[in-house]
Amino acid sequence: MPEIGIEEIQKTLPQRFPFLMIDRVLELEPRKKAVAIKNVSINESFFSGHFPGKPVMPGVLIIEAMAQTMIMLFHEEAAAPKEKAAVYYLGSVKVKFLSPVFPGDQLKITVEPLKILSGAGIVSAVAEVAGKEVAKGELSFSAK
Amino acid sequence: MQDQQLENEIRDLIAGIIEKDPSEVTPDAKFFEDLGVDSMMALEIMAGIEKKYKIAIPEEKLTQLATLRETVSVAKEYLAQKEAGHA
Repeated sequence: MPEIGIEEIQKTLPQRFPFLMIDRVLELEPRKKAVAIKNVSINESFFSGHFPGKPVMPGVLIIEAMAQTMIMLFHEEAAAPKEKAAVYYLGSVKVKFLSPVFPGDQLKITVEPLKILSGAGIVSAVAEVAGKEVAKGELSFSAK
Repeated sequence: MQDQQLENEIRDLIAGIIEKDPSEVTPDAKFFEDLGVDSMMALEIMAGIEKKYKIAIPEEKLTQLATLRETVSVAKEYLAQKEAGHA
């Protein structure tokens, strides 16, 4: 599948500014693999408080980027009309943060399913900057 | 693998996921009623067993994972299939 741009992503993801945490999907094999990028800019609103004079991307937002990439795995189902679209809820998160993420970094997030059932699942997620892992772990979710 | 060893391993795995002491996970304690397991934990238990023993348990078996005894029995069934497949 070709890359998926931000307009198409917004048809799938309900999140909007300042909480849309992926900019483009580079690779998508529905229910098998999703790779997305997030360009981290000094203009991000969270940098004004995290931390003044020492901008570091909050780890929870890296998890959010992973979760949004995870939803893209279900792009076709999730892009259904809004009344019908499932809402994805995180059930549990086990993530290790290996290295801080700074303005100017490009996060590359790869999500692959470990176990997918109808209406729930567990995925593995890895976030990299310039080929180096900055965070990795597992997310479980339910969809209703 | 000895049945007792399998039961002990699965008990420890479940206790870890549901954050209970292994002694509370008796063979017939009901996950949902007695141990407060929810559907996401049940999924994690299933995935945890699949990962540990490198087996695949189909989705329809999820409802059978209601006690430790039943979970061990399902795990044994798929472990036996796996070993038969390698023979």
